[in-house]
Amino acid sequence: MPEIRLEGVHKNYGDIKAADGLEFSVKDGEYICLLGPTGAGKTTALRIVAGLTEPDSGRVLFDGEDVTAVEPEDRKAVLLSQTYSLFPRMTVAENILFGPNIRNWPEEARKKTLANMLDLVRLTRRSDAYPRELSGGMQQRTALARALASGAKVLLLDEPLRALDARLRISLRHDLRSLAKSLRITTIHVTHDQDEALVMADRIAVIRDGRVLQMGTPTEVFDSPVSPFVANFVGQSNFFQGSVVRANGRIEVRDEQGRAVFARAAKVEPGEKVVVGIKVGNTEITREWEGYLQGIVERVLFEGRNLFIDVMVAGLGRFSSRVPTGRKAEFAVGDKVSIRWNPDKATVFTLTDRSLDDELRVE
Amino acid sequence: MPEVVLENITMRWGNVIAADDVNLKIHDGEYVTILGPSGCGKTTLVRIIAGILRQTEGEVYIDGKSMANIPTEERDIGYVFQNIALFPHFDVLENVSYGPRVRSVEKAEWERISRRYLELVKLLDKMEMFPSELCGGEQQKVSLARALSTGAKLLLLDEPLSALDARVRVDLRYDLRRLVKSLGLTTLHVTHDQEEAMSVSDRIVLMRNGRIVESGTPENIYMHPRSIFAANFIGETNLLEGVVKRADAVSTIVELRDGTLVDAVPTEFKEGDPVVVSVRPENVYPAVAGLHVVVSSVTFVGTYFRVMAEADSDDRVEFDVPTTSEREYNKGDDVHLTIDKWSTIVYARTPGGIGEATRLE
Amino acid sequence: MKRIDPLINFISGRKFRKGWHAFIIAFFLIFVILPTVYILSYAITDWGAIESGVLNNKETMGMIMGAIAASFEIAAIVTVIDFAVGLPMAWMLVRKKFRGKNFVDTLIDMPLAVPTAALGFSSAIFWATTPPAMNAPPFAFGAITSPMLLIILLHIVFSYPYMVRSLSAILEQIDETYEIAGQTLGASKLTAVRTITLPLFRAGLITGIILCFSRSLSETGGTMIALATMANSAGFNTGPTLIGTWKKLSATNPQLVPQLAFVSILLIIVALLLLIVLKLVVMKVRLPMGKVWPTPEKILSRGLAPKLKDGSAVFFLAVFILIPSFFIFSYVLTSAASLGDWGPFINSLGYSFAIAAIVTAIDLGLGIPLAMYIARSGSKKISHSLDVLVNVPLIVPTAALGFSLGQFWTDQSLIPSVPMLLIIMAHVAFTYPLVVRNVAGAVEEIDPSYEETARTLGAKPIQGFRRVLYPMIKSSILAGAIMAFTRSLGETGATQAVVSDVVTAPVYIVDLVNSNQYYLAGLACIILIIVSYAAMLLLRYVTRKKRGAV
Repeated sequence: MPEIRLEGVHKNYGDIKAADGLEFSVKDGEYICLLGPTGAGKTTALRIVAGLTEPDSGRVLFDGEDVTAVEPEDRKAVLLSQTYSLFPRMTVAENILFGPNIRNWPEEARKKTLANMLDLVRLTRRSDAYPRELSGGMQQRTALARALASGAKVLLLDEPLRALDARLRISLRHDLRSLAKSLRITTIHVTHDQDEALVMADRIAVIRDGRVLQMGTPTEVFDSPVSPFVANFVGQSNFFQGSVVRANGRIEVRDEQGRAVFARAAKVEPGEKVVVGIKVGNTEITREWEGYLQGIVERVLFEGRNLFIDVMVAGLGRFSSRVPTGRKAEFAVGDKVSIRWNPDKATVFTLTDRSLDDELRVE
Repeated sequence: MPEVVLENITMRWGNVIAADDVNLKIHDGEYVTILGPSGCGKTTLVRIIAGILRQTEGEVYIDGKSMANIPTEERDIGYVFQNIALFPHFDVLENVSYGPRVRSVEKAEWERISRRYLELVKLLDKMEMFPSELCGGEQQKVSLARALSTGAKLLLLDEPLSALDARVRVDLRYDLRRLVKSLGLTTLHVTHDQEEAMSVSDRIVLMRNGRIVESGTPENIYMHPRSIFAANFIGETNLLEGVVKRADAVSTIVELRDGTLVDAVPTEFKEGDPVVVSVRPENVYPAVAGLHVVVSSVTFVGTYFRVMAEADSDDRVEFDVPTTSEREYNKGDDVHLTIDKWSTIVYARTPGGIGEATRLE
Repeated sequence: MKRIDPLINFISGRKFRKGWHAFIIAFFLIFVILPTVYILSYAITDWGAIESGVLNNKETMGMIMGAIAASFEIAAIVTVIDFAVGLPMAWMLVRKKFRGKNFVDTLIDMPLAVPTAALGFSSAIFWATTPPAMNAPPFAFGAITSPMLLIILLHIVFSYPYMVRSLSAILEQIDETYEIAGQTLGASKLTAVRTITLPLFRAGLITGIILCFSRSLSETGGTMIALATMANSAGFNTGPTLIGTWKKLSATNPQLVPQLAFVSILLIIVALLLLIVLKLVVMKVRLPMGKVWPTPEKILSRGLAPKLKDGSAVFFLAVFILIPSFFIFSYVLTSAASLGDWGPFINSLGYSFAIAAIVTAIDLGLGIPLAMYIARSGSKKISHSLDVLVNVPLIVPTAALGFSLGQFWTDQSLIPSVPMLLIIMAHVAFTYPLVVRNVAGAVEEIDPSYEETARTLGAKPIQGFRRVLYPMIKSSILAGAIMAFTRSLGETGATQAVVSDVVTAPVYIVDLVNSNQYYLAGLACIILIIVSYAAMLLLRYVTRKKRGAV
C-alpha cells in the first residue's frame, strides 16, 4: 500500500484556480481526510491522484515514483464518486467483480473474492439485485466492495457519505473507517463536514482555494489551528480583535474599549494587531464570576445534550458557548453573563490584510 | 384557528404506501419540522399540502378551507425546493419578483416587494446576477426570498438545507428561523437531519414508514421519547437488552444478557417482561463500580472524547470523556460505568429486537 | 482471451488513440463534408458557363426561381404546422401518463417506416383528384387540386416524427420542477410553461425546426410521385424534383450541368443561411415576460382546454398522418388487379436493401467513434465545431448533395466512379449525421463518472466503452441505425442526382407511376412498406427487450 505525495500541483480552469500549489503526503495505510468548503479544490485533488485530471504543473508520487504520466487504469487508485456510479445494467455481484473480470482472474480466485467481499460488506443476500433496487447505504457498500475487489491499493472517496441521511451517516462513519483500516488500504477521504473528518481521520488536511492550509492529527488541527479560518471551520470559534499588550508567557490582548483577554504563548510583539480565537466548546459563560467580557444572553438553543447560547457583547458582536442542558435554569434570554476561558486553549493569530469576515467566509 | 389540517391522508403508489392515514394539525404561526429517514413519507406530505401530489384518500384544510379542488397556484403558499429550482434564465431580481408578476402586480409595487425581501436575506447587491453565478447558500436564500415575496403566510420547506455544505447549513438555519418568526409565518419544514430539526422547530413531528410516530417540542422528544426509534433517531442513546428482574415503586431492576443488573426508573413493567433500557451517553459516567465494559475505540470529537465499549452482555455502550480528564482510555481497557437512573427510559422489547426498532432503511 | 491483451494495450496507447481520432475526423471531412459542399466551388470555376447558360436565360431562371421558392415556402409552412401539432404531442409523451402511451409512441415513428415514394403515392390517392385511369377508391378524400397543397400535406407526414422526437428529447431534459416551482408561486400551468419552460427549451427547439425544415426541403421521391399521380400537376416543380428531372436528361445533354450546378448551389446557400439566421433569431429574441394574462391563461390551463389540445393532437396524428400513410392498402384492395413482370422490382428492392445495409454499417462503424469524440473530447472548441459541421449534410437538400457528390468524385480521377459506390457514399453523407447526433446526444447525457470509475478500477478506455457505456447507449445506437436505414431505403433525390440509371426501389416506383402502371406501383409500395416496417419492428423488439433489463 503506497505512500502518496503531491508536489507543487497547479490546475487552472480558465480563471479558476482549482489547485494552487497543492502539496500534501499520505503515509502507507493512513486514512486522511481532505476537509474544506465546496469549491476548495478537494475533488480536483482527488482526481489528480487518480489520474483522471492532468495537472498543469507539479508531480504525483506513489512510493517515491513519479506517476503523473501514468494512466488511471494502471495506478490501482480507485475513485468512489459521490453518487457511487454503480453500473446500472449489472447486478451487485457483477459490479463487484468488475475489476477481476477486466483482468481475467481465474474462476476460483473470482469466486473467492466475491464471497469475501459480499461477506465483508454484509450483502451476501443481495448479490443478484440491481443498483436501483438497493437503498443508499447498500449502494455505498457495494461501491466499496467493488473498489476493494479490484485490488485497489489506494482508496479515493469523494464525499462518500454526503448522499445519505444524517442519521445513517453517523452510523456508517465507523464502519467505513474500520473497513479501510482492516485491509490497511491508504485512504484519502474528501468531505466538507468537519464532524466527519474529526471522527474518521488519522490526519486532516484543511483545504481552501486550492491549497492546504494545515495538515495534522484531529487534535492538532482542532487545538492548534494555524489561521482563524481553520479555527472556525474545524469546530466553531469565537474571535476577539485587539492589540498585544504583553507577550512574554501568556499573551494579553486589549481592544479599544480597554477589555482584556488572555491566550497561550505565541510569537508576537507588543503593539501588534491580532485576533484571539477560542473554540465555542471551550468558551465558558457564568453568572458567578467576572470574566474577560460581559454580555447579554441573546438566544438559548436546545441541541439535545447541550444548550447553544449566543451572547451579545457590546461593540464586539456575538460570542457563543455550549453548556450541558442540565444547567438550563442558569440562563435565560436577557440575562447578564460573563465570558471567560482557559488561556491555554486560546490561540493568537496575526491579522493579514483580509478583514476577519473575509477570512472566515466559507463560500 | 389552526392553519393547516391533514385528515386521514393516505398516499398509495401501487403496492407502496407512502403515507398511511396521517392526521396532523399545524397552528397559526407555528414552526413545525417533519423529521424522518428517507422514504418515511415526509416529502409526500408536504407535496400533498402544496397540491403538487394528489392524495389517494383524505382531506387537506388550509385556514379552514378544504383544498379538494384547488390547484397549486391558488393555494397561496410559499415553497422552497431541495434542489433549489431557481429559474436559470432569469436573474435574481426576476426570480424573486416572479410571484408578484404573475399576479399582475404593478411594476413599482413588485420592485418594492422584491427589494424588501432581498434585503431581508442580505442579497440586495446581487440583484442582477444569475443563479449560476451564486454559491449554494446564496441560491437558497434567493429561493427563500422568492417564496416569501408572494406574500404567502404558509411556508413549505422541502429539505431546504440538505444540498448545502455542513457549515453553510448551520449558519443558514438560524437565519431561516429568525426571518420566518419575524414575519409571523406558519412554517412546515421537512428534513432528515435531527440536529437541524432540534435547532429550528417549535414542534417536531417524527415519521417512519408513512406514519407519524411521535410529536412534541424538541426538548420533550429528546428527554421523553416514547419509542426506541425516537430515542435512537433524535440524539444518541445506548440501548441495553434485558428482562425485568424486579419492579417496585422506586426502580425497575433489569437483568442483562450476561446477568448484570441495571437500576432503571420505576415503570409499569412486571417481572419477566422483555425490555430495552435506553440511556444517553451524557448520562453514563466512568466510576469505580457498576456496569463493566471493555473499551473498543476512542475517538477525538473536539472538546471531548467519545469512548465506544462493549459490555459483558454484548451490548454496545458509548460514553463521553472531557479532554481535560486525567484518565486516558485505550482500546482494551476495563471500565466500570455508572448509569444515572433517573435519565433512563425503559421500553418494551419487540421480537424484532433493537435492530428492527432502530432500522433506518 | 489473454491473446487479445496485447491488442487492447496497443489500442489504448495514446499514440494510437490520437491517430484513430485523426482518421475518424479526416474521414468525416473528406468523405462527408467536402463532397457535400463541393458544388459551391462551381460558382467560381464554372461561373462563365453558369452565367451564359442560366443567368442570361430568362425561361430557365424562371423555372429555377419558381422551384426554389416553392421548396422553401412548402418547407416553412410544413415546419410551422408540424411544430404546432408536434409540440402538444411531444408534451403528452414526455409529461403525461396514459394507457396506450407505448402504442402512440410506436405510431409516431410509422411515417419513418414508410418510404416516401410509397407515402407520396398513398397521399396523392387519398387527398387529390386523380386521373380516372387510376381508379381511386370512392371513399378517398380526393378533393385537393392544388399541387402545392398536396405537397404540403405530404411533407407534413414524414417531417412529423423528426419534429416530435426532437422536441421530446429536449423536453425530457428540462426538469419539471421548474414548472412546479412556477405554480407554487401562483402561475397557472400555461403561464408557467410559457414563461419558464419554453425559454429553456429554446436551444433545443432549433434542432427540431432544422431537422423538420431540411427534411421537407430534401424531399424528392414522394413529391415526384405525388405530382405524377395527381391530375393536372404538370409544370409544378420543387428544387429537388427539378434536379431529378434534369439529372436524368443530363446523361444525353451536358449543357444541363451548369443549370444543375446553379440550382444545387442556390439550395445549399439559402439552406445554410437560414440555419444561421434561425439560430440567431431564436437565441437572441427575448420573449415578452412582462405580459401576463392570468385570467385567460388560467382558463386555458384547466378543464376542457388542455383536453381539447391533447385530443386535437391525437386527432391530427390519426387523420393527417396515419390515414394518408396507409391509404395505399385500401387502394390496392379495391383496384382491379393487373400484374406484370416482378423481376425488375425484386431487383430494385435488392439494390435498396443492400445499399441501406452497407450504408448503415458504415455509419455505425465510423459514426459512433465520431460521436464519442464529440461527446467526450476535452476540447470544447473542437467538439463544438464538429457538432456544427455534422448538421451541414442534414440541412443540405439531398438532391443537391447527391449532385455535388457525384460531380466531386467524377471530377477527381483518384478513385473510379462506380455507380453503386457513389450511391452508397451519397447515402452515407446524409445518414451519417443521424447516427452521430443520436449517439452523441445519448453519450452526453450519461455521467462521465461511470467510465471514469471503470478506468480507476483498471479498465482501459476501450474496455470501459464495451462493458459500461455501450450497454447504456445501445438503444440510442439502434435508434440511429433505424433512422439511417429507413432514410437510405426511402431516399430518391440523392440516388437520382448522383447516378440517374441505377434503379433502387423508390426510383423504380417513380418510373412505374410515370408510365401509368398504377396497380403495380401500389403493390410495390405495399411490399416496400411491409418489408421496411418488419425491419423496424425487429430492431425495436431487440431494443425493448434489452431496455427491459434497465
